[in-house]
This record gives sequence, C-alpha cells and structure tokens, in this order.
Amino acid sequence: MRKVAVVGYGNTPFKRRHIEKTYPRLAYEAVKEAFDSTGIRPERVDSVIYGIYSDPFNHNMMPDLHIHYQLGLARKPSTRVSAGGATGGIAVRSAFMEIASGMKDIVLVVGVEKYGDLSNVFEMIKALTFGGDQLFEQMAGVSPAGSYSAPVILHMLKYGTTEENLALVSVKNHANAMRNPDAQAPMEITVEEVLSSPMIIYPYKLLDHCLNSEGACALLLADEESARRLTDNPVWIKGIGCSTESGRQAERDNVGESLLPAVEAAAREAYAMAGVKDPVRDIQVAEVYDSFSGIEILLYEELGFCARGEGAACLEEGSYSMGGELPVNPSGGLIGGEHAVGATGVYQVAEIARQLQGEAGERQVKGAERGLALSLGGARGAYASATVLEVQDNG
Amino acid sequence: MAEKDLRKGPGRWSDEGGVFILPDEWRLSYMVSCGELSPFFRALKEEGKLMGTRCPSCDSIYCPPRSWCHDCYEDTEWVEMSGKGELIAFTKGYFATSDLVDEVPFYQGGVRLEGARYPIVCRIKLDDEKNLRPGIPMRVEFKPPEERLGRVTDYYFVLDG
Repeated sequence: MRKVAVVGYGNTPFKRRHIEKTYPRLAYEAVKEAFDSTGIRPERVDSVIYGIYSDPFNHNMMPDLHIHYQLGLARKPSTRVSAGGATGGIAVRSAFMEIASGMKDIVLVVGVEKYGDLSNVFEMIKALTFGGDQLFEQMAGVSPAGSYSAPVILHMLKYGTTEENLALVSVKNHANAMRNPDAQAPMEITVEEVLSSPMIIYPYKLLDHCLNSEGACALLLADEESARRLTDNPVWIKGIGCSTESGRQAERDNVGESLLPAVEAAAREAYAMAGVKDPVRDIQVAEVYDSFSGIEILLYEELGFCARGEGAACLEEGSYSMGGELPVNPSGGLIGGEHAVGATGVYQVAEIARQLQGEAGERQVKGAERGLALSLGGARGAYASATVLEVQDNG
Repeated sequence: MAEKDLRKGPGRWSDEGGVFILPDEWRLSYMVSCGELSPFFRALKEEGKLMGTRCPSCDSIYCPPRSWCHDCYEDTEWVEMSGKGELIAFTKGYFATSDLVDEVPFYQGGVRLEGARYPIVCRIKLDDEKNLRPGIPMRVEFKPPEERLGRVTDYYFVLDG
C-alpha cells in the first residue's frame, strides 16, 4: 500500500445560511482555495470523491455531477459518498484507497452541504427521518436526536454523568470557536445558560445540539512522490478505520460496555494501522463528532482517551480543553464550529492537517504531531469513520 | 408558511438577503409495499397483535420482524409476540415533526419484547415519569380497531403493573 498525504485544503466560512451562494459555488470556493494553496490546477487532478449527504437538503439527487463539470473536471471520475454525518470521513477514506492502491496519484475530496433552502426546520428534520428504517422508524416520525439521547441517558444512569457535565461540552466548544474565524457560533456562554436554553429532547437543551450549517471543504490528497514535489509540509494519513452498526436505533449486538460500538471498532482499526498504542500519549489533538454535547463525553471513552465512566470527570479537569493533555475540537466542533453535514468529516481532517502543520493560528495546539478525526452517521453512530494523521515522517 | 407558498409559485426577492428565491417542493406519493413483512402490518391493523419472526435454526426471535436470520441465512417463521417486555432505553421529546407534533412532550424508547433478540423502537405512554428506568416491565397497547391504520403508530407501550 502506498503512502498518502494531505497536500492542500480549503474551506468556505461556515454559516447557518449562505443564501447568496448555490451549493456548486460553495464547492468551487473551497476547491479554489485548495488549488491555490498547492499550485495544482484542475487538469492535474486524477479523480474526485464528493461527500454530499442529503438529496432533500440540496434539492438534487446527483449533486456531485452538477458540481464536477463546473469545476472543469469533465471526463474525470466523480464518485459521491453519502453516509449521514460520516459522509465526509468516508469520502476521505475512498480517496485514500484510490491513491494507496496505486490507481490514482492526485485525488480531490469535496464535502459540501446546503440545507437551508428547505422552508423551515420541520422540513429539515423530516428530511433527516428519511434515513430511518423504512417501515418501523420513518413512519413513527423517529428523529436522529432520540437515538443520540438514549446512550447518553444510559451513561447518566450508570456513571452519574449530569446535565451540567453535558453543558460543559457546549461551553468548551462554543469558546473554542471564538478562535476559529470560519466557525459559525463563537460564543462565550456559561453552564447555566446552556441549562436554561429550551429543552428539545431530554437530556438535550438547544445549546447542547450541533449547528445546522452551510458550507464546503476541499482536500487534496497525493501519493508520496507527488506530495514531496507539491509541498514541504505534507501531512500523512497513517490510519483509517471504518465501521457500522444496525441502522435501526435500538438494535445492537454484543456491545459489552460500549455505548457506541461502531466508534470503538473504527478507532481500533485506525489505531492499529497507525501504530497508536496509547491514544493519550500518541495523539495530541482530536476533532470528533459532537452531534450532541453528551456524545462527546461518550467518545472520550470509546476512543480510549480515558476509562469507561471517567469522561465527565476528565472533561471537568480540563483534559480536553485548549491547554489540556488532549484538546478535543479546537475548531469548535459541530456545536460551535460547523455541521454542514457532507463537509464535516472533510473539514475535521483539514483542521487536523492545519494543526499538525502548525498553521492553526489562535487555535494551534502546540507541538501536535499526530491527530485524530472521528465522524459518525446514522442513528446512534451507525456509521463511524476514524482517521489518524501525522507529520512525524517529515524530518 | 401558507400552503400556496410551498407550491411552484412566482419567485421574488428574499427578505433574508439580496437574492432571488423560487418556491419549490418535492412532493412524491408512494404506496409502500411491506413485501414479505406484510403479515406484521395486517395483524397490527386487523387483529391488534404484534407479530415477530423466529429463526428455525438458532431460535432467535425478531420483533421488528426480519424475514431471514442474518446469522444463519435461513428464512424465519412467523410467531405471535406476548406484547410484554422490558424497557431498554428511553427519552422525552419536546419538539417533533408532523407525525408527533400533537403529542409533545412525548416519550420514546426501546422495549425488548419477551424472547426477542433486539428491542423495538416505540412510543411510551406514562402517567408518572418518575419510575422510568431501564429494566422496568412494559406491555403493548393498541389504538381501538376503528383508529388503527396498520402503521407503527398504532401501538405504544405502558408500564406493566
């Protein structure tokens, strides 16, 4: 298997609404920035993987096709990935495989999403329910939020995790977003303000929820020879893991202590491939899928950042804050930064690349040499994608 | 928003910014085939029963039903579920799409029916939420026959005893 590097990236700012731009325009702006950062032009691109989650969101069933030609990429391959919130992570994996296999040398990944043309939030949530089991969940009006509540309620009952603990994730991630000029929701808020925001679905208040965003992110991946030619500072993709669980919310087999078993499996695969033995020692920065505040606490444990049941205590001690032993979501994550669904997993990888190159500005984690991007999709993390990146080979 | 605004009416300048906007909708109607799972929906509507399936090879029981066992790759057989089970997980919703909007706040959970391998996602109806915790016994109730549509909203679970 050939080595694969991130050699360039670009993204739009993330906003609740980019009403002045169509989704092909958002994609173009991210791609142009990625091209400009490397000097690559469209003719150098061998293949493109698009991460675009939802047909009802984007009001199109083949959105990749309508972007691709306008990027000047006619007659080059276009592949679209759609895997809920893990869309972007799995798009990166598909691009990785095209290069690692020796099939292609330079592959572009484009994550983009536009949800706000739907007339209102009820239409948006209805569109989300279309991902549920056709006969037994869609027709019950079951939304993904409920599936991300249940495991957190189980965690609260088992380990004594509190609504205040959950709120602290929101406080941290909104504060981190203050140092990210592309973030949608930079805010200095308190635990009390989170707790007093409207209850949406127990135990989540409005400020415990991820954002709904529009925006795009592009990544350029290359084989080793091309990467060395294109940049002095490549970031290597050292491990990729991908896993799934039942798409039905309640069905889970042989999970043991794990509340998000696909995450544990995807991380195990990525860690083994990258040689990560002790995540806290071996990883210095992580961008993870905080679709809801409580999910981030579960992820600390599933990813091996701490022991089962200790996630909330480690959070309170500041382990995952900027300046802590393993800062999580310096970008602001999905709660403070963005959640333009198809773009999210791509943007997580771009953020880690920025961190490892020392290009993360005010949100820089000093000395980070290895980082993790983790995204989830479907009900209760039914898709999981984990990517380990590092710069240690660059000496 | 008025119904006519959701149809393919005239475009106009947006109040949100200096762009032109066009009302549109994707309205598709379906007659969804329940296929090989049809006996579940017929029994629900006509008899007020929850049907499951059993693998003849490993005896796993599935409700929601599966027409084959994914461990044994054998076709399953229909069995009637007792309608009693155990609460596995739950939450309380304060915000809902059209299907549930009249019932807010509502309880939703997963109940593992007696003998079943997996829980079934369901609505929970409660007088008093303070007893709600994983492990408590639950039983199914059905809407009266004249209100049943053969849809999963025809049943809900209540505390048993």
